[in-house]
Amino acid sequence: MKRRIAVRRWVRRVVQLAFLALFLGLVLATRPVPGQLPSEWLKVFFFFDPLILVLTGIAAWGVPTLALLAIVTLVITAVFGRVFCGWVCPLGTVHSVAGWAFDKVQKSKPGRDTWSPWQKTKYYILVGALVMALFGGHWVTIFDPLVLFYRTVATALVPGGQWAVETGAKAIYKTNPKIGSFAVTDVSEPAYRYFRDHVFVIPKQAFLGTGLIVLVFGVLVAANAYRRRFWCRYLCPLGAMLGWAAKWPILRRAVAADQCNECGLCTTACHGASAAGLGTGWKPSECFVCLNCSTSCHRDTCSFTFQPLVWKKEPAVQPVGLTRRGVFWASLGGLTSLALLRATPQGRASVYHPRLIRPPGARPEPEFLARCTACGMCMKICPTGGLQPAITEAGLEGIFTPHLVPLIGYCDYTCTLCGHVCPTEAIRPLLEEEKHQIKIGLAAFDTTRCIPYAYGRNCVVCEEHCPIPDKAIYCVPVEVEVRGGQKRVVEQPRVDPEKCIGCGVCEYVCPLDDAPGIRVFSTNETRNDRHQPILPESEAEFNSPY
Amino acid sequence: MFSSASRRDFLRYSAAAAGTMVVGNHFAWALEAPAPKMVITRWTGPMPQSPSEFQQAVVKLTEQTVQAMGGISRFVKRGDVVWIKPNIGWDRTPELGANTNPDLVAALVRLCYDAGAKKVKVGDNPCDLPAKAYASSGIADAAKQAGAEVIFLDRERFRETDIKGERVKSIPVYPELVESDVVINVPIAKHHVLATVTLCMKNYMGVIENRRLFHQDIPTCLADITRFMRPSFCILDCTRIMLNHGPKGGNLEDVQVKLTLAAGTDIVALDAFGAEILGRKPDQIPSIVKGQQAGLGTMDYRSLQPKEIALS
Repeated sequence: MKRRIAVRRWVRRVVQLAFLALFLGLVLATRPVPGQLPSEWLKVFFFFDPLILVLTGIAAWGVPTLALLAIVTLVITAVFGRVFCGWVCPLGTVHSVAGWAFDKVQKSKPGRDTWSPWQKTKYYILVGALVMALFGGHWVTIFDPLVLFYRTVATALVPGGQWAVETGAKAIYKTNPKIGSFAVTDVSEPAYRYFRDHVFVIPKQAFLGTGLIVLVFGVLVAANAYRRRFWCRYLCPLGAMLGWAAKWPILRRAVAADQCNECGLCTTACHGASAAGLGTGWKPSECFVCLNCSTSCHRDTCSFTFQPLVWKKEPAVQPVGLTRRGVFWASLGGLTSLALLRATPQGRASVYHPRLIRPPGARPEPEFLARCTACGMCMKICPTGGLQPAITEAGLEGIFTPHLVPLIGYCDYTCTLCGHVCPTEAIRPLLEEEKHQIKIGLAAFDTTRCIPYAYGRNCVVCEEHCPIPDKAIYCVPVEVEVRGGQKRVVEQPRVDPEKCIGCGVCEYVCPLDDAPGIRVFSTNETRNDRHQPILPESEAEFNSPY
Repeated sequence: MFSSASRRDFLRYSAAAAGTMVVGNHFAWALEAPAPKMVITRWTGPMPQSPSEFQQAVVKLTEQTVQAMGGISRFVKRGDVVWIKPNIGWDRTPELGANTNPDLVAALVRLCYDAGAKKVKVGDNPCDLPAKAYASSGIADAAKQAGAEVIFLDRERFRETDIKGERVKSIPVYPELVESDVVINVPIAKHHVLATVTLCMKNYMGVIENRRLFHQDIPTCLADITRFMRPSFCILDCTRIMLNHGPKGGNLEDVQVKLTLAAGTDIVALDAFGAEILGRKPDQIPSIVKGQQAGLGTMDYRSLQPKEIALS
């Protein structure tokens, strides 16, 4: 009898791990392949995420068509309850595993896993986020579990593994240890090359701010020690949205009250803390349908049944019990947060951050922020590794959103990958020809650093690498006087502001690796109309009224 | 480490060849004259009208040039590991003339295998993203089809090497490349903003890392790395030449079809010829002048009495 039921729990675990593996596989598959555009399948988790659909839909009033797939998730939830949380969500699975591991160390006490009114927090967070979205705010960045997990894996965990493989293999290569006549490198080098060419692909990929990203993730995982699936029960606004959809599900938990002896095994095993008492007071909005209750019941009194007539009273369903007052304060909180996020010089669009260089195809800043979830897909696929999470450049509202850091990597002239992986089209998918017309910034020489200017020697590595066929960097031979009065002719590079697209390869290749002699700034970026201070050379284009 | 054919080696081999090859009458040329130091092959037939005609012309040019040099077996011995070092610097297609012609590379690979090479490897250290440069240049596919092993030069596997140069004392060098038995240098003739032209000597920048610093004194650095590489055999690709906006280019207007190959053992002479075909005077190119001063060869390539061949 018992064995038959335990199978269900194992089915759930296998399904959970399969979805986790799929998610991680899709993160690793987000990599550049020459001559190929990335598949839409890479974004499939985001397309099925209704929180992204609703918040982006409200804030930006536009989403990619495929994002409408998230409606399927809502419908499934309305029928089966929060199966997404219990069976599919990869971050939920991580919390599942962490909670299970912590429970091995410290046994669950009776009452710890019954419903707590604090679980309402997530609904109030959702309300706040919705109100923010109504006014154009879009802080999915912080709250969406899939986004949070994708970002953590792509910008911290994978680069961590890559570091281990690369440095480990290099250490073996350098010391070249031998066991008898067998050289360890005969095994380690092919293995390393496999990882290099088929797993990591971008050499030495690493990201700014991973410490912060891992810290958030680590704290959330550690919170499982306090309450199992802490994030899912208390904080996750996607869970809240699905909880709302699962208010009157068709699949319901039924307890044969006359046979239940209120032993409490079911509530102790409950992932979502969805029961108010021992075996009683089931709240479907909090239930992950993990089936632990029916699995753990020794008397087999607890089971899940279909109730197609949702207005019927049995099996009983308890509401979460949000208060009008709570919703009011949550709305006000959302509005206040947005005001505080936006009431900054950058938020008022009166200044532009010089180093906030957005990828080509990025929408104008407010619209970009209204769409970007900061998931990190564009950063993961950027073949030079130049797209990095912004920590301070885009303000708190734009934390972890992508920007180009040319010192780390440049925008490859023929590459359009970032726009093609963006799940919300915050970066528009471009054709190569379209991309060549878009300026993401403008290069400027620091004549106190640039070698031909400052030290009177030839260099022009920047000119050599400039990808514009007619060259946005050109050289002027200039006679300079070096120490002792000697004259020497050097080629001094200059930037043509009409040709420069701000790709940053010049800054990347500059031999001065600390503070390059040429740097790219967001000046003249195509996407922001009012951020174009350099006039075009031709008079025809300059229609001054004066 | 190297089997570079120095002049003395060459004379010895020629004598051996003269002694042993009397039997085959298709080697009769070996009896008539010693193998030349330099060969210039020009296509004088009708201009190819399609990519496949162009490809056939390039393959024919390659085969005839190598044949005139005395056959590839003059440089590649049975069982040798050969590294062919083309210019795969940029993410540009062959028509734009920024990289060595892929069919030239493929034809060379086949010749090396015909001569009994154990393994032929093809690789360069591109300026653009390696995967993209290898793909768009067409060299990866062409070389693989010809049976070569196409190798990405892993930046993590370069080895700091003492090269005892005049300016460059020590530089990261790719070990697998320099440890090959033969390295065949196959550059393309291009305009270069600083070096004014980029030819055979400059192509050796692809065997090292940290080359950005070279630009501050390019002639001395090129001479240093060339001395270290001890060139045995170079083929200069002038099938298409880039006359402006080099070395990366990108405009078809900057490219001229010349359908010419120059091959030889004297790297400075080849560079001098390349400078002329690009419309420059060799004695105005600092790296060529420096190369001659450093004893790497002569810029008066005509003094080597290059064998000139017209193909159609």
